[in-house]
Amino acid sequence: MDIIAFLQSKPVLIGFHLGFAIIGIDAFLWLFGKFKNPGDSRRSRIITAAIGVAAFIASWFIGGYYYVVYYGALVKPIIKSGFAPWAHNIAMETKEHIFLFIFPLAMTVLAVTLLDKKELEQFKLRRLVLWLSGAVAGLGLLIGALGFIISAAARWG
Amino acid sequence: MNKPRIIFSSALAAIITNAFIVIITVWAELSAPLKDWLKNFSGHHWTSKSIFSFLLFMIIAALLYFLSSQSGENRLKRILIFLLISIVLGVIIITAFYTGHHFQLF
Repeated sequence: MDIIAFLQSKPVLIGFHLGFAIIGIDAFLWLFGKFKNPGDSRRSRIITAAIGVAAFIASWFIGGYYYVVYYGALVKPIIKSGFAPWAHNIAMETKEHIFLFIFPLAMTVLAVTLLDKKELEQFKLRRLVLWLSGAVAGLGLLIGALGFIISAAARWG
Repeated sequence: MNKPRIIFSSALAAIITNAFIVIITVWAELSAPLKDWLKNFSGHHWTSKSIFSFLLFMIIAALLYFLSSQSGENRLKRILIFLLISIVLGVIIITAFYTGHHFQLF
């Protein structure tokens, strides 16, 4: 098996999709902590948010490849013919579409990290930016929970 | 670089993109010709939605930044609150829609 075939195999794709999503969630949780801690620098907030955005983009591409190439042909028929077809009809359909909210939201949080401490206070955004960072992480966790339901339905029928 | 204007442009573009995702998702489920068009555009309806949502966000954010004459400082807090609300509403609408669709309510 060459490296391309290895990277395109289903367990590796799922692993990278989930792994990058976890990095994205963790980055925005970390950013939440950085906004709470007034001592952290603007540069460190920008880097943390940029890592989160990059990780979510990677998760989007890899998960999208798996979804388009394998899920519809191999996994969806198993779920639809099992005891929990709702796992596809509700959980998967919701997951794949609310995932698309993450990129614009995360990019906007990245834009907010450009502000320094003084500007955050001046525009009265300190509390709001905590909500925004938390929303990115929360949305990622919700998508992860939906992914667990879908995987469970595929495994146990 | 006008930082408030970058944030304002990004937030408004994100709200418009979120609305686009909700509308195209619901509309395509209810309209077979639209879903077929999305499938034919890239090979998969979700890939097309991904491409369009990405391009829409980037283009609108850039246009708003370069064409807007206002700095957006006074509107920052309000637009970011609207962004949060649009995310919550988007998740609720899409979840409710697919739940109703599954139970054949519409």
